[in-house]
Amino acid sequence: MSTADQLILQRHRHLKWRSLDWLEQLLMILCGLLCFGFSLSVTADIVTRTIGHPWLWLQEVTSTLFIYAIFIGAAVATRRNDHLYLTAISEAMHGTPRLVVEIIIRVVVLGVAGCLIRYGYQNYLRGFGSFRLPSGTPIASLYAVIPLSGILIALFTIEQLVNGIANGFDHPEPPDDDGPIVPLDTRIVGRAEL
Amino acid sequence: MSAPVILALMTFCFLFFGYLGVPVPFSLLAGVFVGAMLADVSLAAIIQKVFDGVDSEALLAIPFFLLVGELMSSANVVVRIANLSVSLVGHIRGGLSQVVVVFSMFFSEMSGSTTADVAVMSRALGGPMKREGYSPAFIAAIIASASTIAALVPPSITAVVYGAVGNVSIAGLFMAGVVPGFMIGIGLMIYCYFFGPTGFTKPRAPLRQIAFAAADAALPLMIPVILLGGILTGWFTPTEAGVVAVCWIILVVIPALNRGHIRKIPYDFCLAGLIFSLPLITIGAANAFGWMLAYLRGASYIADVIVSIAGNDPHLIMLLMVLLFTVVGDFIEPVPTIIIFMPLVNTLTEAGGINGVHMGVVLIATLAFGLITPPYGLVLLMASKFVGVSFAKALRAALPIYVVFLVTITFTIYFPKVVLWLPKHVIPESVGCFKAPGGTGYICPN
Repeated sequence: MSTADQLILQRHRHLKWRSLDWLEQLLMILCGLLCFGFSLSVTADIVTRTIGHPWLWLQEVTSTLFIYAIFIGAAVATRRNDHLYLTAISEAMHGTPRLVVEIIIRVVVLGVAGCLIRYGYQNYLRGFGSFRLPSGTPIASLYAVIPLSGILIALFTIEQLVNGIANGFDHPEPPDDDGPIVPLDTRIVGRAEL
Repeated sequence: MSAPVILALMTFCFLFFGYLGVPVPFSLLAGVFVGAMLADVSLAAIIQKVFDGVDSEALLAIPFFLLVGELMSSANVVVRIANLSVSLVGHIRGGLSQVVVVFSMFFSEMSGSTTADVAVMSRALGGPMKREGYSPAFIAAIIASASTIAALVPPSITAVVYGAVGNVSIAGLFMAGVVPGFMIGIGLMIYCYFFGPTGFTKPRAPLRQIAFAAADAALPLMIPVILLGGILTGWFTPTEAGVVAVCWIILVVIPALNRGHIRKIPYDFCLAGLIFSLPLITIGAANAFGWMLAYLRGASYIADVIVSIAGNDPHLIMLLMVLLFTVVGDFIEPVPTIIIFMPLVNTLTEAGGINGVHMGVVLIATLAFGLITPPYGLVLLMASKFVGVSFAKALRAALPIYVVFLVTITFTIYFPKVVLWLPKHVIPESVGCFKAPGGTGYICPN
């Protein structure tokens, strides 16, 4: 499997449309590029300050990439179900109760996404009245990512809702990938006294 | 509708949706939106608060610390640190449980994340411990407890968030976290020695073997040196130190120790770009929740109750805060807790004349403890999942270990001079000291 293919999570496959896999892949690549971008801009900021010729606009670039990475990451995490959870009571349920709870969960997320789109867009429009220094770019350029993130979150939530109702939310999942960490090789030279 | 009722509804919505299974940032925002509609607050203002919550330069350190942890884990260089830990303490009674604690003390100083720690330790040491006959419940308990050290010692992400939101010196919090972090580590080792399973007895590693293991782990172990050294000497801010550590791993550690991993670095960046957005979007949502709490005067109401009981006694104020945060920390994660309750913390820090760094480290230690207590002990939940044991069994095994945390928290409250000794001597300004007018030495508040 190529690195790009690995970026599409196979968990909860029954809740995903294959036709949207390219979007998950694209957003993951974008997350990586944004992360790499602000790593680079902070590095350049340190270097230019150290040599006594600071490029002030680098801080603006950094904050733009940082903010975009957060909201794009939040959107793609919705499709991958990677967000932080207090608990997952629903995963212990089966049948109709599970279906009802899962639908409620997605409706709540959809409601929040709707607010992000509507009121985020209002903020975006207002953002044309304020400007960032030193470039003088309207702050709307930063606020634009909020409704965009809302649209993506809504899209992925609808995807899960439709597929969940059609296929059921309750599906056996493959075991979690243990990742590349090799378990420690401890040489046993004594006797256990447990 | 009165403010307390709105606050109660907000909190209910957050906890109800959260425990139902709605992701934390969305359940927080659902609660805030309900509260804002009832309190006649513009929802656009709430979105603005979400944005303001993440638009902070200090928070920029988080992705770099997470990237350090991600690169270290995926490049598989942590095994070298585990080998060093075995050669250092593998012969002590308790065997691999001692290794878990020492490994965590090393790895915490690179990742700054309790969840990264618990994932790495479960994968690297969980299997070998099982093979040596340790009970899965004990394995989960000791791994979870040891991983909480990451919340205290530099480069703790919890400390970064606390410093950024509470306007407290992050470097000061890093330094002040060393004593309680070290106390938890030593406390766990003492617990394992006297009360834990005996483990396999291994011969003491000869000095040459220790030296070899240390040399093998030297490159990864430079990371805490870069992070701490850079911050302490004033060369770097925490964010810049994180960047330099990332550069060190990419340019030196991976090419030298795992050249084959170089082509996977883009994948690590993609994953890190996703992983760091998770706590940060939660920070944004929690900021909006905290703002509503302050707007509805919830923070000042709780502060009034605490001050009416404790007066201006700093120890009693901190004890009551520990009690409050222990309860809150049982239900909510440290990062949102810090942000939501920061207005309250600031009010009480002022009321008790408490040093901001001291209050910060006490609360962070309390929240670290909350990570292994029921019903929502996040790292204990994670450890039990990784090890493959029920949460209830892991919890029973963790119960006696709570003593280590309670002793550490009590010590941190009552001995501020010991806790603040390191920041006071290394970065005096971080704990409120200022240069004496004569130019020699510093004048520090009591």
